[in-house]
Amino acid sequence: MYPAAFRYYRAATLEEAASILSQAGDEARPLAGGQSLIPLMKLRLVRPALLVDLNSIPGLSSIKSEQGVVRIGALARHAQLADSELSQLIPILHDCAAGIADAQVRSRGTIGGSLAEADPSGDWAPVMLALSAEVRTQNSKQQRTIALGDFLKDAYTTALANGELVREVAVKVPAKNSGGAYIAFKRCASVYASASAAVQLTMADRSTCEQAHIYLGCVGLVPLHATAAEAELRGRELTKERISAAAEAAMEAAAPHSDMRGSAEYKKVLVKHVVKKGLEVSLRRSRGEQVEVSHEYVGRI
Amino acid sequence: MSKKETFVGESKTAGKWVGRPLPRLEDARLVQGQGVFADDYKLEGMLYLQLERSPYAHARITRVDVSKAAAAPGVVCTLTGAELPSISHPFPEIGPGAGQKVEDYALAINKVRYQGEPVAAVVAESRHAAEDAAELVEVDYDPLPVVMTPEDALQSDSLLHDEAGTNRMWHDVFEFGEVDKAFQEALHIVHIGRLHFHRFSSTPLENNVVVGQWNIKEKRIQYFSNQQFPAFAAQFLSPALGVRIDQIGMRSIDIGGGFGIKITSYPYMALCALASRKTGGRPVKWTETRTEHMLASAHGNERTFYDTRVALDANGVITAIESRHIDDCGAYPRYEPLGCIIWAQVLPGVNRLKNIRIDFSQVVTNKCPVGPNRGYSRMQHLWFLERVLDICGHALGIPGDVMRLRNYILPEQFPYTTPNGCVYDSGNYPKMLEVAKELVGWDEWKKKQKEAAAEGRMIGLGIGTTLDSGTNNFGQARIVNAYAPYSGQSKAANIKLDIYGELVLSMGSVPQGQGHETTAAQVVADVLGINPEHLNVRPGFDTEQNVYTGHTGTYASQFAVTGLSAIHGAALKLRAEMSRLAAFALKAQEEELEFGVGAQGPQVSVKNTDKAINYWRLANLVNLNNAELPQSFEDITLNCRYVYKAPFEVPDVKRKYGNLTLTYAAQLHAAVLEVNSETFQPKILAYACVDDCGRAINPLIVEGQVHGGTAHGIGGALMEDCRYDSEGNMLTSTFSDYTPITPMNMPDLRYGHVESPSPFSYNGAKGMGEGGGAPLHALSAALQDALYPRGIVVTDSHNTGDSIFQLFERARQGTEAPVVRVERPRGPR
Ligand SMILES: Cc1cc2nc3c(=O)[nH]c(=O)nc-3n(C[C@H](O)[C@H](O)[C@H](O)COP(=O)(O)OP(=O)(O)OC[C@H]3O[C@@H](n4cnc5c(N)ncnc54)[C@H](O)[C@@H]3O)c2cc1C
Repeated sequence: MYPAAFRYYRAATLEEAASILSQAGDEARPLAGGQSLIPLMKLRLVRPALLVDLNSIPGLSSIKSEQGVVRIGALARHAQLADSELSQLIPILHDCAAGIADAQVRSRGTIGGSLAEADPSGDWAPVMLALSAEVRTQNSKQQRTIALGDFLKDAYTTALANGELVREVAVKVPAKNSGGAYIAFKRCASVYASASAAVQLTMADRSTCEQAHIYLGCVGLVPLHATAAEAELRGRELTKERISAAAEAAMEAAAPHSDMRGSAEYKKVLVKHVVKKGLEVSLRRSRGEQVEVSHEYVGRI
Repeated sequence: MSKKETFVGESKTAGKWVGRPLPRLEDARLVQGQGVFADDYKLEGMLYLQLERSPYAHARITRVDVSKAAAAPGVVCTLTGAELPSISHPFPEIGPGAGQKVEDYALAINKVRYQGEPVAAVVAESRHAAEDAAELVEVDYDPLPVVMTPEDALQSDSLLHDEAGTNRMWHDVFEFGEVDKAFQEALHIVHIGRLHFHRFSSTPLENNVVVGQWNIKEKRIQYFSNQQFPAFAAQFLSPALGVRIDQIGMRSIDIGGGFGIKITSYPYMALCALASRKTGGRPVKWTETRTEHMLASAHGNERTFYDTRVALDANGVITAIESRHIDDCGAYPRYEPLGCIIWAQVLPGVNRLKNIRIDFSQVVTNKCPVGPNRGYSRMQHLWFLERVLDICGHALGIPGDVMRLRNYILPEQFPYTTPNGCVYDSGNYPKMLEVAKELVGWDEWKKKQKEAAAEGRMIGLGIGTTLDSGTNNFGQARIVNAYAPYSGQSKAANIKLDIYGELVLSMGSVPQGQGHETTAAQVVADVLGINPEHLNVRPGFDTEQNVYTGHTGTYASQFAVTGLSAIHGAALKLRAEMSRLAAFALKAQEEELEFGVGAQGPQVSVKNTDKAINYWRLANLVNLNNAELPQSFEDITLNCRYVYKAPFEVPDVKRKYGNLTLTYAAQLHAAVLEVNSETFQPKILAYACVDDCGRAINPLIVEGQVHGGTAHGIGGALMEDCRYDSEGNMLTSTFSDYTPITPMNMPDLRYGHVESPSPFSYNGAKGMGEGGGAPLHALSAALQDALYPRGIVVTDSHNTGDSIFQLFERARQGTEAPVVRVERPRGPR
């Protein structure tokens, strides 16, 4: 399938891109990795009249860590994140990036595109929410900072105004006594997950939880904040039973619907599994253990 | 993939090249992007065809308006269903009775019968223009009630083909032996509820592609496509297009995967020709997209098994089976109802079972038409038999391996005649079982299974024994339709020594990864005492350049038998001619001659002398310099065609009795899996595949085929399912939804080979490659083993974490009638 005809413009700076986009209005779309946009165009489900290509804008894919804050450029590719030193520091980023789809998608797809797409099954949003990320945006005149929770409005809907672009994503480097994990359960390597959980724990001591962040992917219109599960853990000793109880509580938060990725009832079962596993791995990592996890699917579970 | 290999058995016809694991000669060409694929084929003035397809599964078409599309930029012509009766005829139907009343045209005319059915075509200067214009086609539909299940098909008032008067396209009862007597005498009778073999496909990497040109002046239609059974497709196209068959030229060279799915692409071929004629003879290309492929190419047959009763003796030997089977062929029969007989090639499976009564029907439903997908029709039946065996085994407390050993046909019984007259050539199933158990580590896993069960874990061990019957007797078509003009099986090959002494082989088969160029060269190299690279193999089907018979194509696991027999025959013919010529030229007796390779390449020499003649000189004598030859050599052409005809008779149609296939390759897979107690997702812990395809011409190619077939079967068992909702919308029209298996999903395979040479082929080989769906059997068996202690019977060939979770839920609710009932657990009173 070929997309419907469109015009193409290669922007030199983010400001220029923003300015062209604001002039063109709804007709235009920015193009990052194209891994969501181009397939939709090929199926003619979207038909932008103009594509403004961000790929040649210098500096937009850098990953920097300064004073405990990591700034990830909008154009940073999944593969780049999977391979970056940052992933050693914040293993949840590696869990997520290294397991997205296949090598082609990972080497094109970007974190900015993923958050801007706001696909309910996108992998980055729950992970970044668990890390309390902020989205820094830019239009032709100014920049602003939006907490990711406020940025994601609804399925496929963000707080971005017309002509406003994602410039970078910023997260604080988690404290030493912290550990996180991202577990996504899917049917095969190159498809979106059926259910996923991003967990980031901050521990008061070896076994007492000080703070927990748990976000669920694929089981709501936006990533769901599993607050009841967090409450189960906060200030408590993370025993096996406690972890199971939190996973059960997370199940209650899930609001999935049935589709080819699984029946609604089954997705709830998966939520319990991914949260439980996410908590177990996070706990071990908070103790300094090296634990390898990534997306799970047939043959890799 | 790690592997461990085991070879058992003796070679029958060891040659210098045949039997060797020679790396494939075609690979260099293919991996360097030099394959000759249809979508790369471009012609001057070529146009592009785009189809408008039905969004409905079943609807009356009330209006088709192509005027806006026809006026769009770049559009050269359009086609609608309404035009077709005036420019073409319906495709021939193989089925009798109701089947003969089905009207299958290349476009839907008054109604659509499955989602994705082509309704109109737009032909334009570029693919872009064609796609843009196709969006302007306006069609109004009046939706009709859909028929989605066999039950609906038989009970609903909604008919797919009104002219046929029924949705049941075929029905008959297959009865052999003394079924009632066996049930009276049975010690145990097991009743089994509904079993279901799901619909899946083989999703070749390359979709369907057709380039068709109706050359008006030459009165010829020339095709370049990836049709995998061109000789058969031509037999459908000729009457539909109203041309003589010799007016249709077909070329299929390299194919990026076929698996049978590309046998029924002829409606698309017809459209390209009709569109070409409408444009005054410009070539028209159609390239299918993945979504079109998933919606509307062909799927594998779906089959449901009802009311099964099984009679067993005290040892668990099955003495009789009675059952009712309904095959679902989708919206149009096309290659069907051949599937209604093809399963009977393996009527008793690998078992000594004598008494069998199967009430068999085939119905049409509002789904994509089926095509003969890898393991076609036998796989469904063998899965059923394997399920019966395991369910009875569990019900009577007999382990799966023991059940099989007690029921297998024994090695000393071969050649073995089945109750319906098929002759199994050779085999050693107990040996295969032994090898597979050893490879998979059966005994250790049995221990681990017990330990794991104590911890509440669910590990299961399963065996799947299956047959890959190859070299089909087309005469079986007469059992479904006594008037079908088919029987036997044949393949042609031609080998020539060309003007400058080049050795050129053509055979008309259309390999899609089976390595025909390599095995053909191995055979010829042995006959002529040369090296495989001395032979030029012309791959593909080409009506103009290559030879063929009406059976020519690549399907039904047979090349090693039919293809290589034809090549061997042609090579022997050529050798005889060369020998006569060489004897004359070298002034020697033929008995003194030796075929081999000398300093100047391939030659014929006189033993123990330095007298020799090379291929150039031999060819020169016949082709360019023949005044040197006496008149008595005029029959020598050095251009030798040989047709191999398989030794078949026409089956007894009334009794449904006769030999339906020549060779019976066997596959035995053993699987160990664990069902995750949190996600219910099955995980394969160990997997072994053992094959017996008689004499392996090239063990490397055989192993490659086994790996591919295994991947395909595992995909079918755990991942792939052509799913529809209750309205007939296909839910798996993209790879994101269908999730075809990839290497990322594969377990390590342990591979073993047992060799029982076939007495029916010159080389002891048996056709192989389809594989018979062994992973479906083995994985269902292993799953059953893991779940039976929880009161769960595996009734479907497709099982995912989700579906297993649903089985647990249903078992927990306890609302459904048990699937299995044992009528005489302790035997008759
Ligand atoms: C086969 C396949 C499987 C996939 N599986 C997964 C998966 O399992 N998990 C997952 O998370 N993703 C998956 N993806 C999607 C992939 O991760 C995409 O890369 C990602 O969702 C979008 O990023 P992109 O850079 O490709 O964005 P694009 O496709 O270029 O753009 C996406 C949208 O965001 C807008 N946009 C892009 N950049 C910006 C910006 N800087 N500011 C504002 N708007 C912007 C675009 O206009 C467009 O509307 C898959 C994709 C494919 C093709």
